[in-house]
Amino acid sequence: MNKIQLNKLFVTTLSFCFILFCGASAHAQEIDLLLKGGHVIDPKNQIDSKMDVAITNGKIYQVAANISAQKAKTVVDATGLYVVPGLIDMHVHAYQGNEPDAYIADGFTSLPPDGFTFRAGVTTVVDAGSSGWRNFRDFKKQTIDRSQTRILALLNIVGTGMTGRFEEQDTNDMNPEQTAYMINRLFPQIIVGIKAAHFWGGFTQVDRAVEAGKLANVPVMVDFGEHNPTNSIEDLFMKHLRPGDMFTHTFAYGPANRETVVDENLKVKPFVFEAQKRGIIFDVGHGGGAFSWRQAMPAMQQGFQPNVISTDLHADSMNGGMKDLCNVMSKFLNMGMALQDVIVRTTVNPANAIKRPEFGNLSVGAEADVAVLNLRKGDFGFLDIRKMKLKGTQKLEAELTVRAGKIVWDLNGISAPAWETEIPKK
Amino acid sequence: MRIILCILFLISAAIGASAQQYDLLIKNGRVIDPKNKIDAKMDVAIAEGKISKVAKDIPATQSKKVVDATGLLVTPGFIDMHTHVFVGSKPDIFADGIYSVSADDFSFKSGVTTVVDAGTSGWRNFPTFKSNVIDKSQTRILAFINIAGAGMIGNPDQEDVNDMSAQMTALTIQKYPDIIVGVKIGHYDGSDWTPFDRALEAGNMAKVPMFVECHLPQYSLEDQLNKMRPGDIITHSYEKITERESVVDDQGKVKPFVLEAKKKGVLFDVGHGGYGFWFSEAFPSLQQGLAPNTFGSDLHRFSMNSGMKNMLNIMSKYLNMNMEVPDIIQRATWNAAQSLKRNDLGSLTEGSVADIAVISLLNGNYGFIDAGGNKINGSRKFESELTIRAGKIVWDLNGLSAQTFNNKR
Repeated sequence: MNKIQLNKLFVTTLSFCFILFCGASAHAQEIDLLLKGGHVIDPKNQIDSKMDVAITNGKIYQVAANISAQKAKTVVDATGLYVVPGLIDMHVHAYQGNEPDAYIADGFTSLPPDGFTFRAGVTTVVDAGSSGWRNFRDFKKQTIDRSQTRILALLNIVGTGMTGRFEEQDTNDMNPEQTAYMINRLFPQIIVGIKAAHFWGGFTQVDRAVEAGKLANVPVMVDFGEHNPTNSIEDLFMKHLRPGDMFTHTFAYGPANRETVVDENLKVKPFVFEAQKRGIIFDVGHGGGAFSWRQAMPAMQQGFQPNVISTDLHADSMNGGMKDLCNVMSKFLNMGMALQDVIVRTTVNPANAIKRPEFGNLSVGAEADVAVLNLRKGDFGFLDIRKMKLKGTQKLEAELTVRAGKIVWDLNGISAPAWETEIPKK
Repeated sequence: MRIILCILFLISAAIGASAQQYDLLIKNGRVIDPKNKIDAKMDVAIAEGKISKVAKDIPATQSKKVVDATGLLVTPGFIDMHTHVFVGSKPDIFADGIYSVSADDFSFKSGVTTVVDAGTSGWRNFPTFKSNVIDKSQTRILAFINIAGAGMIGNPDQEDVNDMSAQMTALTIQKYPDIIVGVKIGHYDGSDWTPFDRALEAGNMAKVPMFVECHLPQYSLEDQLNKMRPGDIITHSYEKITERESVVDDQGKVKPFVLEAKKKGVLFDVGHGGYGFWFSEAFPSLQQGLAPNTFGSDLHRFSMNSGMKNMLNIMSKYLNMNMEVPDIIQRATWNAAQSLKRNDLGSLTEGSVADIAVISLLNGNYGFIDAGGNKINGSRKFESELTIRAGKIVWDLNGLSAQTFNNKR
């Protein structure tokens, strides 16, 4: 017997023991929560079919057809619904606080995420550079440590993060070493990359961010606008960024100070396809000012699709055309993207982009972050930031959200008993 | 002469019409305006942030912008009587802390244009609340202030009777009459009635209602209701926890003294929150004459994702408990305004500030959860289509007010 055969025997024996054990404990209800009868879409594991998802001890326990309801303490009927990994919103601003003159760092424009995430099926958010190395610890203490939503972060290359547009211009406060140290030495679990944004000058800020990215071996996300005249995004994609770096606000239309991916003749610029091929990650980052139909629609029609669908959630986007991640995903559905492709862009794609492949899937043993989505049919409308509307017929809605095995959102009480059952029968 | 006058009138009318005197016209909706006893298909015209005209068939040509509300309800913007919105960065407390939430995050998407903060601040920190939150909010924020000087800062500090000054509370109310609508009592573990009496005293001095929360485990419900004056408000009305004696007895009967209090003029608010609403209390109450006066949500960090969700969801619960739509709208608008003694709010009266909710009524299979995790099934649900605050569109779910994108050059 060679080593492989030995291993096989070992596995077979183990499996046999496991089956025996399962048989013995069938009545022990080893499953805490069973989502039954839903259509599971788990792109990482190439599942796209009717399956049951079992959760125990906060982890995915089993994904299979016809798991017995008797094995579970709580069973949720997900018939007619989609069961997907908890969504990852790769672009939000969550460093909320009430510093009087602050913008996004410790300011009112940031939002505590729990009120927006679970009701949209989101279980993980990535804060896109609200804090820098000088105030990240405050952000962590104030928000990250006290949220139910998992918060990861891109650290701003500017030391004070997004305190204000003026402060964000200070090249003396863009320190690659300190930024990299904070990631590598202090918070490698939480900080997943670097952000460069809101810079009025040339490429200095991006180059510093990439330098820090190299030191810390993490990707960089760039919000590349607010220059007048504009800087070349072809140069950005081809000369300054590395494969794996992220370009956000992909479908923004403000040609005076931000070069667009779609030109004035509604053609996707050829180098944009090249850039995506090169490995540049295109992020939606909808926000209050960065998603226009006149960019997104031609792009979709010409075969240029974003890698990641995200919200850029903050106080100035939450009540506008953006609303929440389900709404932004619904826009892509109604532009003709398949549901599976939408789910890829909100689960495994962002997980890979931030190099955290343990998230965004339903692999057995993974933390049980699950979204149960309803695909509503009807007459809907979707606003862009220019207050132009696309009509649509389908809309995603979060029915049930599970975070680390716990139900944290239940829109219609699909996990709840009927109220009369608590009244003792006379 | 008469002919000349007629011609002059026609000319001026034509000039007026082409001048588009309205900024926004909401056409063809079912207008429900309880204060003005309107429940009919009508148009609502807005100019300069105010309700300009409510009438049938206002010509679209008279308005710069027109929204077609066919099939939708058009009502005054809702008033949420019970929220905790003194949000700040302090850990683990409500006052200036992370247990409170921002009003704008939840209000407009549920048709709410005014929220009332339920005593998160007291007289010592109300100015901070005002400058940090109220002045920066798009949602109109009114407030009950806590009889505890620093509001909801957690135990034991918020129970310090020495920091419950009727005088300072009343003076603060008088200093901010446009914002502070009353005084709140809640969160006292002792049996001494001093805190309750001080709140009443402050209410008497400032001539404002008292808002009685719960978390007053040593006070009997009957004593609380007996002490309350007509117009005072009790919240968490349908709660079933140890800190608040329930309004319904073990036999499913609403207790007689509760109905007496209602007759006297005590107002019952829902105050759903995380623990404040149980179908086993609310159903018998509704059937036996103890319908809520208002639908306060008790919005805060721990209720936002629970069975509560937002005030519109509470309204949908009552819809599926068979309350009529106009009765629901009345409780969400004019009832609330009256109980706050803010008759300028909660209606579509011409000249009043243009706070408007445009609501769709969905049909389907829905479920609604109470604080005990128990469910009713329902077939109808409200959804907020369009919300207008002071004449400005602040929420538009389906782009009702938007132009359709045309993918051509």
